[in-house]
Amino acid sequence: MKRYIVKRICISAATLLAILLILFLMLQLMPGSPFNDEKLTQSQVALLNAKYGLDKPVFIRFLNYVKNMLSGDFGVSYTISKNTSITTLLATRLPISIRIGGQAVLLGTLVGLVLGLIAALKHNTVFDTMTTVISVLGVSLPSYVFALGLSYTLGYQFKWFPLLYQQQEAIKSSILPTISLAMFTVATVARFTRTEMLEVLGSDYMLLAESKGLPGGRLILVHGLRNALIPIVTVLAPLVVSLMTGSLVVEKIFSIPGIGSLLVTAIQSNDYNVIVTLAFIYSAMYIGIMLAVDILYGLIDPRIRLAKEDDYEQS
Amino acid sequence: MRKAMKKLVSLGLSGLMVWSLTGCGNSKPAVSSTSETQAAAQTQESAAAKGNALNVHIDVEVASMDPQIATDGTSFEVIADTTDGLYELDADGNPVPALAESVDKSADGLTLTYHLRDAKWSNGTPVTAKDFVFAWRRAVNPVTASEYAFIVGIAGIKNADAVSSGEKPLEELGVTAVDDKTLKVELDVPVPFFESLMAFPTFYPVNEEFFTKCADQYASTPDTLLSNGPFKITAYEPAATTITLEKNPDYWDAGKVKLDGINYQVIKDSQQAMLAYQNGDLDLVTLSGEQVEQFQADPEFKNIMAGYLWYMSPNTKVAGLENLNLRKALSLCFDKEAVCSNILKDGSIPAYFAVPTLLATGPDGKDYREDAGSNYFKTDKAEALKYWEEAKKELGVESLTYTMIVEDTESAINVAQFLQSEIQTTLPGITINLEQMPKKNRVERMQAGEFEIGLTRWGPDYADPMTYLDMWITDSPNNYGFWSNEEYDSIIQSAKKGELALDPAARWKALIGAEKIVCDNAVIFPVYQKGNAVMQKAGVEGVEFHSIAINRYFKNTTKK
Repeated sequence: MKRYIVKRICISAATLLAILLILFLMLQLMPGSPFNDEKLTQSQVALLNAKYGLDKPVFIRFLNYVKNMLSGDFGVSYTISKNTSITTLLATRLPISIRIGGQAVLLGTLVGLVLGLIAALKHNTVFDTMTTVISVLGVSLPSYVFALGLSYTLGYQFKWFPLLYQQQEAIKSSILPTISLAMFTVATVARFTRTEMLEVLGSDYMLLAESKGLPGGRLILVHGLRNALIPIVTVLAPLVVSLMTGSLVVEKIFSIPGIGSLLVTAIQSNDYNVIVTLAFIYSAMYIGIMLAVDILYGLIDPRIRLAKEDDYEQS
Repeated sequence: MRKAMKKLVSLGLSGLMVWSLTGCGNSKPAVSSTSETQAAAQTQESAAAKGNALNVHIDVEVASMDPQIATDGTSFEVIADTTDGLYELDADGNPVPALAESVDKSADGLTLTYHLRDAKWSNGTPVTAKDFVFAWRRAVNPVTASEYAFIVGIAGIKNADAVSSGEKPLEELGVTAVDDKTLKVELDVPVPFFESLMAFPTFYPVNEEFFTKCADQYASTPDTLLSNGPFKITAYEPAATTITLEKNPDYWDAGKVKLDGINYQVIKDSQQAMLAYQNGDLDLVTLSGEQVEQFQADPEFKNIMAGYLWYMSPNTKVAGLENLNLRKALSLCFDKEAVCSNILKDGSIPAYFAVPTLLATGPDGKDYREDAGSNYFKTDKAEALKYWEEAKKELGVESLTYTMIVEDTESAINVAQFLQSEIQTTLPGITINLEQMPKKNRVERMQAGEFEIGLTRWGPDYADPMTYLDMWITDSPNNYGFWSNEEYDSIIQSAKKGELALDPAARWKALIGAEKIVCDNAVIFPVYQKGNAVMQKAGVEGVEFHSIAINRYFKNTTKK
């Protein structure tokens, strides 16, 4: 298992490096530069490019960037917040995005599991139908629709929550964005839990366990849910990614000073270092989650772990 | 034992799974962030301006609070809230002395000696002439790489261009501190709009000692910012979505400031901004074009004239577009009234000129457009058709096809589609194709001359027709159409640095003549001058809107 994890981490690091290189090449192909404002003269553009090292070939810039990055220096912002180091820029923004994203995953998974379980246990009842309706809505409506709807009803009409994110009320004002972001997760997890649980509940070993007189809670959670979890864990990783893309819009709607809204602005204004750092962080998160999911498989189902180790020994 | 293990694993499973995902396996930053956020929230709460504070919507973050680095309207506005220069603009846009108490002008108008009033920075040190010298040198220092370095040259300050290109040392810039309260400015040429330029943030003073102490961190937090203006900043961080200002009790003109503070809120989604306004969270909000129709009957709705002129720029190097009759036909063939009242609906006005209205005031005290009239490019479809018939003969063609490049914003595309249909209907035989792209891309294409017609715009940098007319001289990097005219070049040259520069009245007349040349030659096809729509809460008075550099002044604003 250890060797497997080490190998996976090495692959992840190499992947990240490759992503970084591709990012650099893609930025090179993007129209314009951070400094192609109409008001700038050619000599000023040259001066600015020289100041930030943008006059060097893309590969040299890439190597320099990786070198600086390893010492924790992600460069400075060119346009969004002129001359501010990216580390300063992200110091307050990253925690906010992670907190709200984390809340959304937590809420989404828990609510999704519960809804899915209820739907499976009360198969073909009104509960089941309700869950299905919620799932369909959650999957088909993008998160910003929920964001706009929630802020209009709960924020504007009922005034229960602040319309915009406020630092003074960090918890209270993060509730609406969390719910908007969590909806897709709720829906997907509920749908998968329901399907998987129905299958598991109908299987022979469940019948056997039940006839042996196992108590209901233990039967459902240990024998039922555990077996149903594998496919759910598999969909969770892509779900977290959809959460990231959702956060780009949701952060804009609620004026959350997070990294999602920052990335959008950065791309629009060719703020290279901000784009590279954020894309890097998103990739690192995604790869980290995939890694975590892989390791989780092993914990949930020992068969997977053994199979993989066998693979590894053989190769 | 094994069963117990199994039980343990499965019980903790959902929790574990979720935990590992919340912070991609590291819960530490998330935990510490909560406490950090709470701490920040507490300080922020005590810092937030209370009571009679104005809540203002901005749609983009402040890019820099450093007056010599900032380039955008939002940054300029917040900088002007907290900093005074030699002059400020009054409600009508005329320059009035701020930190300058009085001025002695030499007979030739080339040496200006400013006597500064007693004013303090927010750390208690006095504002001195040295602060101006330091700031202006910083603006032209190639090391600073200030994007607005050119404006020091526009102001006519001696050696500005040579210093900013590195040909002369900083010390040769025509600005010296005679003593703490006396600032001597030497000019290459007298500049009629010099005083209004002094209200521009690039010319605001910076305290050298404080700047050096802050090193790289200057202007990035309330602790690394100094104020000598109506307000001081109490909560700010780079690219913050909320900015809090509070009245500066040590401001030299503090008696006039009625607001307790200003709370800026960045909201990029215009619907949410309007919702926040209706919710009572904001006192002043900028509407997007599509919201105008919905709210324009509201008593709190206001139209503000902005400085931007939108126009089509034909590339005269493209076959056909060098033909004057074709250009004239294109410039007259579309209904500008309809663009403003049916497409934009945001208070924009038809552009019957090449230099916008409410931009500059002449030596006679009148607006430039009053003196120059607004009778160019009046829509006349019959006349346009005649020109087109002429052009067809001269060019020996029956039909022409051009591609117009447009940036991919909603209003630009709507306008472009309307123009396309107007041109094609009025001038049978001409086909216009539209090509959409991001603004950066459009600018790049136009700068490289790789376009046929471009829908573009220009915003003024200073209160003089020259901020537009300067564009169309031969070899100007912003003369996208490559139009060239010797007479025009010589007028502009003389108005900038020659004989005309010495005679404001003659210069003014010559500039009016220069604009006529541009219009007679249909160098550009002006479409409209941009209007902005805002909602301003009843009880809020005295917000001063300007079309140049600093869009809004709140010094004299009151809120009931």
